[in-house]
Amino acid sequence: MLRSFSSSLHRLSLFMASEKPQRLHQITGTNFQNTTKRPKTMATATATATTATDSAMKEPFTKYTEYLNNLNDKRERVVKASRDITMNSKKVIFQVHRMSKYNKVEVLEKAEKDLAAVTNQYVSRLVKELQGTDFWKLRRAYSPGIQEYVEAATFCSFCKSGTLLKLDEINNTLLPLSDPSLQPLQINILDYLLGLADLTGELMRLAIGRISDGELEFAEKICSFARDIYRELTLVVPHMDDSSDMKTKMDVMLQSVMKIENACFSVHVRGSEYIPLLGSNDPSSFLVGVPDIEL
Amino acid sequence: MQYMKPAFRVSRSLITINPKPFIFLTSPFLTLQTLRSQSPISSFSSSMASSDFSSLPAPSLEKQFGEFRTHLEESGTLRDRIRTVVSEIESTTRLMYASILLVHHSRPTPELLEKAKTQIDVLKEKYKQLADILGGCPGQYYRYHGDWKSETQTVVSVLTFMNWLETGKLLEHKEAEEKLGLNGPEFNLDVEDYLVGVCFMSNELPRYVVNQVTAGDYDCPRKVLKFLTELHAAFRILNLRNDFLRKKFDGMKYDLRKVEEVYYDVKIRGLTPNGESVADQGIERQS
Repeated sequence: MLRSFSSSLHRLSLFMASEKPQRLHQITGTNFQNTTKRPKTMATATATATTATDSAMKEPFTKYTEYLNNLNDKRERVVKASRDITMNSKKVIFQVHRMSKYNKVEVLEKAEKDLAAVTNQYVSRLVKELQGTDFWKLRRAYSPGIQEYVEAATFCSFCKSGTLLKLDEINNTLLPLSDPSLQPLQINILDYLLGLADLTGELMRLAIGRISDGELEFAEKICSFARDIYRELTLVVPHMDDSSDMKTKMDVMLQSVMKIENACFSVHVRGSEYIPLLGSNDPSSFLVGVPDIEL
Repeated sequence: MQYMKPAFRVSRSLITINPKPFIFLTSPFLTLQTLRSQSPISSFSSSMASSDFSSLPAPSLEKQFGEFRTHLEESGTLRDRIRTVVSEIESTTRLMYASILLVHHSRPTPELLEKAKTQIDVLKEKYKQLADILGGCPGQYYRYHGDWKSETQTVVSVLTFMNWLETGKLLEHKEAEEKLGLNGPEFNLDVEDYLVGVCFMSNELPRYVVNQVTAGDYDCPRKVLKFLTELHAAFRILNLRNDFLRKKFDGMKYDLRKVEEVYYDVKIRGLTPNGESVADQGIERQS
């Protein structure tokens, strides 16, 4: 651990050295707050150096300080990266929702492109931060982002191929991001499963959208897919580490699955009752009726 | 009125199929008309039934989740093994703690520390077992960290207290690691756990001082105060987050105040043994 810690320290100092001139440049040009901030951090740095000479106890404590500072800085950077991943994965999901039966190919292509951008820009930043024991140590810091990313990736791929994107497949796309000599970032099963649990919410929205668009077959496919995921997850959840979080997700998931099922059901029942003249009074039967006219 | 009755019958049967009747918004008349011609209920239920049985999940899906399950089960059994070792660590620590607690009953005797020290080897052995269990999964120290975290913090507090009783110095992180045999590359002592343990140790000092003074050791408050002021100053170097360690550190100042009070009580009554000047120097240098 110490070895990785010192190497990260080294990296940090390199990073700071390269950043400095640019920063200073910015400060002279722009706002006042930055200039006041800088000396402050310098002051605390020197303060630790002078007080450290006072007693024998302080020498080890400066070491702990260094360790904690590095850890906290890294955690902060990981949290930021995670937030960026979340934000941009959400955008991908929204892009997929823009799909209609006419523009499916273009919309999904754009979504895939966006997802690749998320991978290359933001996930790669996370990959660079995490090494060795960090994967588990800082998991809380990056887990939300990764979950959202899993959700976006699986959502995208379901719309394209109709199958579930597997964990191995996602992890394979992450391999090129990291230095081949280092241990690559691999999404762990727990985050993957948590991401999948969120996926059904999106599937539900998609199914409702497809139904109102008249793509009933697609909606039924979504329905059985969501059902499969729910069923598979029920077997896995009891073995998960932090199952309380997952249990609430499972409840939400069941609700989503039931919403899809109910929507499919109502369309099934009322789709057959459609009578053009009478149905025009009822907004939902109007929507269902659209494909019939077009067909 | 003639066809109202069958309409109600239909609506009731629909409701029993689906417990959430929100889909049944349309007028019963409409449903009735279509029902007569097509009878959608029967077609619906048959299609539901067939889709349930024919579209079994894809085999690849089953396979992946099967793998997940075995993986998670394995880590579950690993966790169980860890927990049994950790509970042994806990009971050993409790034994040690019980024997050092005698320090509050009388003056610290070397025998008392000797007795506690014999347990250190037991602890060492237990931590080696933990390290062996985790040896199979490199890089996953922090996956299971929560299982031994608080126990290890207690271990550190006992060790640092013992060390202080013996030498009057703070046991450093590295020394604590050595005592527990935790200097492997994979399994080591987390710095934050160590620091929390030190905070726990400081909680023990006010009681110690009070009892020592009662037992007649009037020089003790000065020594403890010196140590605790130093420790508190050292902790102030750390840039802490708003976490558990921060809370524990915030609690340390109450220990410090208590010890200061005891020192004051003793000093103002002229009970300090070897001249006031020595004691003064000791404190002034710190403040």
